[in-house]
Amino acid sequence: MKRQPFRTAALVLTFAVSVSCLAHLSRAKHDYAEGQDRARAFQTEQAVACWKRSLDEAGRECRRRPSAQAFTVKGLAEANLGRWREAEASFLKAFSLGFDEGEAWASDSALAGLAVSFEELDLEAPALRVYAQLVDKSDFKPALMIAAEKRTSLILARSAGLDPDERGRTLVALVKTLDRLLDRDFACGLFHYLHAQVDGHLGDLRRSYEEAVMARELGLPSEKIGRDNDNQLVYCYVRLRDSLPPAERDALTAAQTRWAAKWGWRDDRTPAWKKE
Amino acid sequence: MAKKDIEAALARGVALLDKLLPLKSWLYFPVLYAACVWAVRRVFDYRERILAWQVWLDPEFVRTKPDEFILDFFCGNGRLRREYADEVARGDLRVLRAAFPALYSLVGLEDAFLKALFKAELDADDFRTIVVEFAARTARAREAIRAAAADPAFWEVLERVGREAASLGIHLLKDEEVQDMIVALIKGPVGLDPSIPPEA
Repeated sequence: MKRQPFRTAALVLTFAVSVSCLAHLSRAKHDYAEGQDRARAFQTEQAVACWKRSLDEAGRECRRRPSAQAFTVKGLAEANLGRWREAEASFLKAFSLGFDEGEAWASDSALAGLAVSFEELDLEAPALRVYAQLVDKSDFKPALMIAAEKRTSLILARSAGLDPDERGRTLVALVKTLDRLLDRDFACGLFHYLHAQVDGHLGDLRRSYEEAVMARELGLPSEKIGRDNDNQLVYCYVRLRDSLPPAERDALTAAQTRWAAKWGWRDDRTPAWKKE
Repeated sequence: MAKKDIEAALARGVALLDKLLPLKSWLYFPVLYAACVWAVRRVFDYRERILAWQVWLDPEFVRTKPDEFILDFFCGNGRLRREYADEVARGDLRVLRAAFPALYSLVGLEDAFLKALFKAELDADDFRTIVVEFAARTARAREAIRAAAADPAFWEVLERVGREAASLGIHLLKDEEVQDMIVALIKGPVGLDPSIPPEA
């Protein structure tokens, strides 16, 4: 009978510790998901804050009760914060604890970190090769997204110095790569944004406009990219409208007016965030 | 809401920041303004936000925009069109492209922190100074904030000023009114250095 209170206390303690551990993991997942939502809503700073909170909670969980799930959430938060080396280590740990995809995600995180380091050292050629490999083969979305964005940006920068024919061929090849990415994940707003950028360089204003509209609808990873996408959308819309015969022009204006109302813009060419 | 009370709260903030950011009064503006805006929105993570503004400084696609987009940007804004009329008329893409990264971040993307950092020049339509100063001033701002961020007192001051301003009803003022109030405080009554770094 004397043991009864001790047993009860032990049970209560075990329950409390379990709940506490569960709470860390649960909070880490919740914060990570909120970060994703914030990022899609162009709230970059809030997204970064959420991922940092998620990282803290997942870190605590990993120390108290290591599990594949805890290390996976930690790795995801690290990847979203661009901490590729740490993400690699977390995914490897998750793999060792039974998360099958952890090994591939660790490898892709390592490659993303390597490419970013190359770029920081102004070694664009090797960075481009690594990004190309990730774009072709990675299924790990954070690495795939950064690789697609960086590769597109680097190729656009390089193409500026080429003669017109070669530049045209380079941009067409870039569009094909982005088409393949969209085939794999049509719901990724960033890929549509990148497509809109390259279409703009090719002078394909209609496609650029359509891709920018889809990017806006699907969400983009940062407020700044969102604003740049809005500017691209308005730029294409105005020029396209001016070039169309009256009937088509009216149809485009009507469509853009509906989108603008849905997005809460002040008029068909003024996003809500614009003050100038 | 008493405008004078808010002004007094901000003045106390400027005076306190003066001790933490010596000789960097041009930095008070974005930091104080950000603290007020975020306090009104009841944001709890001041630190994250002030430090996270750095992610705004490296626009990936700005340097690769097509010539037509750049020309359209300069022609589409009345103030820029006036300042760069000669370059636009000549089709001088070399000058326009060089000016574009700084001006597009400020005027095109309306980065709040950068707008605050260059408020004096923006108000004076002094776009060419912005272009010349952009890289150096943003680098100094990053460095100064990073250094100040290590001091807990810096965060305490910002939090206190933001909360006080929020409790006094700063949200009832227009953004421009708050900005002008802070600029006037930095330039005037508290007797601090000019709001622009001497070498600008």
